[in-house]
Amino acid sequence: MLFSLKWLKEMVSIPCTREELVAKFNLMSSEVEDHYQLVTATNLTVGYVKTCIMHPQSDHLHICEVDVAKETLQIVCGAPNVAAGQKVIVALEGAVLPGNFKIKKSTIRGVESNGMICSLDELGIEHKYHQEDGIHVLPESSVIGTNPLEVLHFDDEVIELSLTPNRGDLLSMMGIAYDVSAMLDTALTLKDIFVKEVKESNPVKVSTQTPSCKSYYARVIRDVEIKESPEWLKARLIASGIRPINNVVDITNYVMLETGQPLHAFDFDKLKSNTIVVRNAIDNETIVTLDGKTRTLVADDIVITDGHTPVALAGVMGGESTQIDQSTKAILLESAIFDGLTIRKTSKRLDLRSESSSRFERGLDPNRTLLACNRAAALFEQLANGKVLANVNSFENQNLIPIVVDLSLSKLIKVTGYQYSEKLVSNVLKRLHFEFKLQDGIFKISVPTRRIDIKTYQDIIEEIVRIAGYELIPTTLPKSAIPGSLTEVQKQKRLIRETLSTLGLNETITYSLTSESEAKSFDADEKESIQLLYPIVETRGTMRHSQIPALLEVLNYNLSRKAENVHLFEIGKGYSNQGETEFVSGLMTGVFDDSKWQGITRPVDFFVVKGVIETLLNKLNVDKVQFLPPKLPHPKLHPGISAEIIIEDISVGLVGKLHPSLSSEKGFPDTYVFEVDLKAILSASKPNDKMKEVSKFPSVSRDLAIVIDRSISAKQVIETLKKAGKKTLIDIKIFDVYQGEKVALDKKSIALSLTFQDNSKTLSTEEIDLLVSKIVKAIATELNGELRS
Amino acid sequence: MEIKKQIEELVLNAKNEILTIKTMNELNDLKAKYLGKTSPFAQLMSQMKTLSNEEKPLFGQAVNEGKNQIASLFDGFRLELEQKAIEEKLKNEAVDVTLPGVNFSKGSKHLLSKTIEEIEDLFIGMGYSVKEGPEIESDLYNFEMLNLPKGHPARDMQDTFYITEETLLRTHTSPVQVRTMLEAGGKKPIKIICPGKVYRRDDDDLTHSHQFTQIEALVVDEDVTIADLKGTLLVLAQKMFGEERKIRLRPSYFPFTEPSVEVDVSCGQCGGKGCSMCKQTGWIEILGAGMVNNAVLEAAGYDSTKYQGFALGMGIERIAILKHGIDDIRAFYINDLRFNRQFK
Repeated sequence: MLFSLKWLKEMVSIPCTREELVAKFNLMSSEVEDHYQLVTATNLTVGYVKTCIMHPQSDHLHICEVDVAKETLQIVCGAPNVAAGQKVIVALEGAVLPGNFKIKKSTIRGVESNGMICSLDELGIEHKYHQEDGIHVLPESSVIGTNPLEVLHFDDEVIELSLTPNRGDLLSMMGIAYDVSAMLDTALTLKDIFVKEVKESNPVKVSTQTPSCKSYYARVIRDVEIKESPEWLKARLIASGIRPINNVVDITNYVMLETGQPLHAFDFDKLKSNTIVVRNAIDNETIVTLDGKTRTLVADDIVITDGHTPVALAGVMGGESTQIDQSTKAILLESAIFDGLTIRKTSKRLDLRSESSSRFERGLDPNRTLLACNRAAALFEQLANGKVLANVNSFENQNLIPIVVDLSLSKLIKVTGYQYSEKLVSNVLKRLHFEFKLQDGIFKISVPTRRIDIKTYQDIIEEIVRIAGYELIPTTLPKSAIPGSLTEVQKQKRLIRETLSTLGLNETITYSLTSESEAKSFDADEKESIQLLYPIVETRGTMRHSQIPALLEVLNYNLSRKAENVHLFEIGKGYSNQGETEFVSGLMTGVFDDSKWQGITRPVDFFVVKGVIETLLNKLNVDKVQFLPPKLPHPKLHPGISAEIIIEDISVGLVGKLHPSLSSEKGFPDTYVFEVDLKAILSASKPNDKMKEVSKFPSVSRDLAIVIDRSISAKQVIETLKKAGKKTLIDIKIFDVYQGEKVALDKKSIALSLTFQDNSKTLSTEEIDLLVSKIVKAIATELNGELRS
Repeated sequence: MEIKKQIEELVLNAKNEILTIKTMNELNDLKAKYLGKTSPFAQLMSQMKTLSNEEKPLFGQAVNEGKNQIASLFDGFRLELEQKAIEEKLKNEAVDVTLPGVNFSKGSKHLLSKTIEEIEDLFIGMGYSVKEGPEIESDLYNFEMLNLPKGHPARDMQDTFYITEETLLRTHTSPVQVRTMLEAGGKKPIKIICPGKVYRRDDDDLTHSHQFTQIEALVVDEDVTIADLKGTLLVLAQKMFGEERKIRLRPSYFPFTEPSVEVDVSCGQCGGKGCSMCKQTGWIEILGAGMVNNAVLEAAGYDSTKYQGFALGMGIERIAILKHGIDDIRAFYINDLRFNRQFK
C-alpha cells in the first residue's frame, strides 16, 4: 500500500518527520517497504513561453523566450508540443533532476540555452501515470515564478507499507489514519460527508440471489461531466500508484483508497433495465471485461446482472458493455461487499488480481460501504457537476454492530510476562479508538468493524503490546524443566557425519526435486515417482528416489572446475510412492590420500570405498555386515565391481564402481558410489552394554599360504577357517592374494595370518599345531585347496 | 721403584696413542696391544715369578693399577666413540620437517549441517528435544491445523508445491509441531525444535531457493510468556551472532501465532549505527515468531484456557548467510568443494 503523506495529514495530526513516522510504523504497525519524496527535482519554477521559434540549425529544436518572473530566459527545447502562450515547468540553472541530472547553461547547436522546460517524465513521474509525450503544460491559472510542484500537488512524500494479510484495514487512508493516531497518540481529523441530493428518486432496484454478496448500495448520478480530474486528485492517485483516467473513474479509485471500499461505476444509460441482480454465474457463461477480453465463467463466480445478462464480474472487473466513456451522462454507482474467498478464487483463476480484489480478499469494514457510496456521490457532485438522485437503494446482510471481546488484566499479564497497569491498557485502548468498559479487572472491548481481523483476546493482546511497545516486555526464559537431548538415532546421524567427514569425505546437500528421468535413474526397483502438479521447471518436477544422481551432478560441477579428488557424502532422503527413505550416500573418485614426494598415493578403488563403509559401520556398532555380489547386477554399476551390502540377510544398500559406459558417457574418471538405508543400518546397531573380558594369556600368530580355485571367495575361505579354528582362532588377516605364473592358471594363492588365543590358558605349540593341521585339512576337504609349497 | 716408573710410562703412552684413534676397530686393536696376551702388562706379569715373596704383592698391585687405569681409559673412550657414532647416525637420519605431511583427504561437514547442529545444541542446552517429520505432508497438517484453511489469503505468503490437492511438499516444519502436539494428546508440556528441509514455489535467485532449511521451536506449557519468547530469542541471537548483540521485536502476522512478531538483531557491522549491510537501519531481520494461536492449540487438542505457548521459526540459510557473509543462497546447494571445504 502506497500512500501520500500530505493526504494522510488531512486526516490525522502528524507532528513529526517522515523518517520518524516510518520508524513508528516499523515498530508498532506495519513494515515500511519504502518511503521517498514524490518528486526530488530542485530549483523548478513556473515559466511562461512568450515566444517560440524553430531553431535554425535543427528540424525539431525550438528556441523559446520564457518569462520566469525575475527574468526572461532563452531556452532551447526539443519537445514537439512546446508553443508560445503556454505555462510550463522550468528547471533553472543549478536544478538537479532525478537521476542526478544537473541543469547547466549550455549552447545547443550554436544557441545559448539557460535551463530546461520539463516533461513529467523528467520530474520522475513514471510515464504510465500520465502517458504524455513532450513537455507538461500547466493550467492557465498557474502563477509565473511559483513552484510548479505546488501547482501540481507533487510537493508530497510517499510511504509504502508492506502489508500482512490480516491488516486489510491499512488498505485505506482512514485505516492508516486510525493506526497513526494510535501510534503517535495524536488526534484524528476525519471530515464528515454531506451529499446534496436532487428531488428525482433513484429508480434502481437491487437484490441478490447469492449469499456471496453481503451488501449492496446503489446510487444514481445524472448529468455528469466526464473530464480530467483536478490536479490534487490526480497527484494523490499517482502518489498511491494509480493512473488517473477521468474524473468518474478517478473518484471511484480515490474513494476506494480513502475508505478501503472498492466502488464500481456503470454507465447507467447502457444498462438495459433499472434492476440490479447479483447472482452466481452459470457455468460457461461469458462476459467481456473492461480490458476487452472475453471471460468464461464458472458457477463459483459472482456476477452483477441487469436482471438477465452479466454486466460486471463482481469485485474483480467491470464489463465492457456498461463501461464509462467520454459520452457517459449518467452513472450507477455500486458500493458492495462480496465474499472474499469467492473473489480470491475468481481473480486467481482468471489471473486478474486488482486493487479491488485484494481488498475484498482481506475483508472490508461493513460500516464503510454506505459511507463510501455517499463520499463518492458527494465528489461526483463537486467534481463532475453530477446530480445525485435521492435515496441509496440497497440490501444489507452484514452485522454492523461491533463484537465485544473480553480481556482480563491478569490474562494479559499471564500471556505477556509484563505487569501492565489498568491505566496503561486503558490509555492504549483509547489511542486505538476502541470503546471499552472496565469491570472487575476485565476490559470489555467493542472492536470497531474496521478491524475485522480482531476476533479474540489474543488479537487484543497484540494491539496492546504493539502500541504500548514490545520494548516494555522483559526477557526471561521458560520455567518448565524438561530435560533436552538428542535421540539415539539423531546421535547416530551426527556420528555418521562426523565419521565420514573425518575419513575425508565432503558433505553435500542437494535438491530433492529433479527431472523425471533423473529421479529414478538409480532406482533398480523402479518404484513409482512423486511428481509435482505444477512444477516451475520440468527439471525440478519429480522427487528423487536416490541421492546418487545428485552426487554425480556435484561431481560433474567440480570436475569441470579442475577438482580431481572428489569424495562426497550426503545424508538425506529418497522419495517414492512407498514413502520417504533416509539414505547415507557417497561418491569417491581420484586419490584417497597421497604423499607424492614419498612416492605413495592411494587411488580410490572398490576396497577404499568398502573400507570407508566398514569403518563407518564399525563406528556405529553394526556387526555381521557382508558385501556380496549383487543378485541382479545394478544397471548403472560395473557388474563385476559392485556389491550388495547385507546385514543379517537383508540388503541395506549397494556399493560399486560406476558402469564404465556411464563414466565414459559423462566423461568421468573411475568413480565409486554407495548408498545405504539409514534406518536399516541404525536398527542393526548393537552397542556393547557389558565389557567383554580381555584374555590375560598370550596370543600366537601363524602364517599360511594356500592355493585354491580362483572362483572361491575370500568370504568362503574365512568362513572355512573360522569353522575349523573354532573360538581359539580369534583373528584372520589376509595379507596377500596372488594369481599369476607361479600358480596354476585357474588357481590363486592367498596368504593369511592367523591369530590364536585362549581366555583360560597359554596355548602350547602342540595345541596350535593341532589346530593348524585341522585348518589345513578343512581347506583341503572343503575348498579343495592345499598349502602353497 | 723401577716398576712404577715403567707403568707410568705405559699409561702415558696409552693416553697419547688413544688420542690418535678414530674408530672402534682401532680402539680394539689398541686395547689388545696394551691389555692382550702379548701386551707389556702380560710380560710384566710373567716376571712376577722371579720376584721375592715380599716384592710380589707390591709388584702385582702396581701392575693391576696400571692395567685398570688403561682399561678405564679405554672404556671412557669407547663411550665417547659410541656417543659420536649415535650423533653421526641421528645427523644422517634428519629429515626436512618443512616437507608436506601425508595428504589425507580433507573432509567437511556441510555448513547447513554445522549451523543446524550449533542451533540444536543451543536449544538442547535449554531443555528442548529435536523432532523431525515427513517432507511430503498433508494439506491438513501443513496448513489447515495451523489456522490456515483453504483459500486463506495468508496462503499466498507460502507459495506451495502441490503433489495432489491434499498432499504437498511442506512449506515449513510447523507440521512437525502439529504432529508433536497431537502425540502429546493435548496434555503434556512441549519443548521442541524442528529442523528440516522445506520447499516453496519460488524461482531460484540470489535470495530465494525453492528448497531451504528451517528450524522452528515450539514451547507449550501453562505459563509460557512473550517475555520467555523474548528471552529465548535474545539467547539465540547472542549465541549465534555474538554476546554484544541486541534484539527487537516488530509486529507481524502469521496465522498460527497471535501476537506475531518479526525479530531483528542489531547489525554486527556497524553495531546499530546504520550501514550498507543493514540498509542504514542498524537492524537485520532474522526470523519470525509469536505466541501460539489458540485456534492451533485447540485444533491439536490443547485446552487454550490452560495452556499457552510460543513458536519461532528461522531459515538456516539466512542465519548462515548473515554469520558468514555469503552473498548467494544457491551456494549452499551447488556444493562447489572450494566453498564446502571452507567450513569443517
